[in-house]
Formats: sequence, structure tokens, C-alpha cells
Amino acid sequence: MNLNDEVRKYIDDLFKDVGKSQQLFDLKQELVTNMHERIKDYQKQGMSDEEAFKEAKVSMGDLSGLVDDMREAGREEAKGEVYSSMTNRISTGGIVISVMLIVFGFLMTISMNFMDVAAPAKSGTSIFIVIGGAILTYSLLARETARKYAMNRIRAVLYALAVGVSLFGIFVGVTSGLATGEMFIAFSSSTIFLVIGIGMFVSLMLSEKVDRTK
Amino acid sequence: MSTNISTDLIRGHTVTIILNILRQGDSYGYEIYKKIIELSQNQYELKEATLYTAFRRLQKEGLITSYWGDETQGGRRKYYRITEDGLKKYQQNKEEWLFAKDVLDQLITGGDQSESK
Repeated sequence: MNLNDEVRKYIDDLFKDVGKSQQLFDLKQELVTNMHERIKDYQKQGMSDEEAFKEAKVSMGDLSGLVDDMREAGREEAKGEVYSSMTNRISTGGIVISVMLIVFGFLMTISMNFMDVAAPAKSGTSIFIVIGGAILTYSLLARETARKYAMNRIRAVLYALAVGVSLFGIFVGVTSGLATGEMFIAFSSSTIFLVIGIGMFVSLMLSEKVDRTK
Repeated sequence: MSTNISTDLIRGHTVTIILNILRQGDSYGYEIYKKIIELSQNQYELKEATLYTAFRRLQKEGLITSYWGDETQGGRRKYYRITEDGLKKYQQNKEEWLFAKDVLDQLITGGDQSESK
């Protein structure tokens, strides 16, 4: 076994029952590098490989405090992974449900139009598209993908609200237009919702500070 | 080489000692270890474990930062650099020490004159 392997094995053994984390990886690299330099110095003083390695181990001191520190770091990292897989699962559920809602709302609206019902009722079921659209927006944004980190949950909710309110505006416009048969009522009733919804959306876009790309 | 100063005496000053070395330039673990021995003229050896624990704490407190060197031969070194806050902390600790040093000296060795009176 050569010295490189022995040093690596010695450091690995020190932390062998510690959960993996970036911090642990870095600390081990740091310890290995410094141990090699120390061994080199001892060799210059005329020590053999074995003697130098033994001396280097002695001067390391009591690493139990660091091991505890690293164990803590490993636990935190594991918690983070559980958390992110949890949010991704919730987001997957959200996408499935919202797509179902949208398809349901869409098909119901079409079939209502072939049914003999009063005009305002024809667009009524498309409210499901509005709800589905909002949930879909949230689920897509609060999801961690291979290339992007998940958006902060509060921001994702605000985006979902912006989309929801805008869609609701369209819904209200179509429904009231059908109910009264007047285009001006259709537009005026949807205006307030569209203004609020799009306003929210634009202000969210402009206040985007965090780059979520990995 | 053996530890010639009692560890209890020096423990509270580990941070200041490291900051003193880093304020004179960026450095890495083993080099800092050697500098401490050199500065103490072989009277004191700070164990590596203590050193790395201190690095972690100093980093958490924002008194130092770290970066990887670009050595190609052998492993890469992790360098430490003192921050503005670190420099302030060093100044403060130094002043406290200079003040305490004289008082402690009086407390531990003083009193002979009044006794003889």
C-alpha cells in the first residue's frame, strides 16, 4: 500500500460513521493535503515513510469535536434532501390534480355548449380551468428540477394568485357577456380582475432577484 | 516537541492567535500550524484538531473566509483569509489582552511591597 492510499484511508476511517455532506468532503480533502505536506517535512528531516506517517497521526490530536460537527452537518444535509423530495412530491400531486381539473373544466364546458341550457350556464364549468391554472402555476414553480431550484413558496403562491385572478377575469368576462349578451359588460366586468392579475404578474417578474438556475 | 505552555492558559486566545497570522496574509492549515510553532519559538504547538475546529467557528462567525488554492501537484490547499470583521475582532482582542496582561501580572506577582511595609 502506498502512502497516498494510507493517508486517505486513515482520514476516511476517522469519519467512517459520519453521514456524507459537502462540508465533510471538503474537510477530508483539507486534512489529506495538510497531512501530506507534514509527512513531506518529516521525510526531509530524514524519517522513513512509516515513521513520518506515524508522527503525522500523533500530531493530529483529538478530532472527536470535528467528527461531532461533521455528524451534525451530515444530518442537516439529509434533512434538506427529505425536505426537497417532499416538496417535489407535493408539487407532482399538484400538477396531476391541476391538469385533471383543467381537462375536466374544458370538456365540461364543451359538452355544456351542446346541451340545451341557458347561455350563462354554458361557461360555468370552466371555473375548473381557472382553479386548475392557479394550482398548476404553483406546482410548476415550487418544483426543483435538474436545471432549476424550487422557487420560494410564498412567491410561488403569489404567482399562482396572479395567474388565477387573470384567468378568473376572463371567466367573469365570458360568463357575464353570455348572461347579458352585451360586449361592454363582458369587458368591463373582466377589466378589474385582469388589471390586478397582470399587474401582480408584472411586479413579480420585475422583482425577481434570485437566479434559480443551477 | 512538547507543549510547553499549559493548554488552559492559551485556550481563550486560540482565535486571536489565528487572526494574528491571517492578518499578515492568507494561509492554509499546515502553514498556520508551523507559523504558530515558529512564533512561539518552539514553546507551543497547537494541535491540528483544535486548529480546524477554530477555522470552522471563525468562518461561521464571519471573521474569516476560505477558498481552494490551484495547486496542481499534490492535493489542493484550503486557504483562509481574514475579513473586515475579523480584523476588527483582532484589534479588539489585542487591546483587551494588552490591558489584561498588566493587570494579571500585578494580580499574580504583585503585593510584595505592601507586605514589607
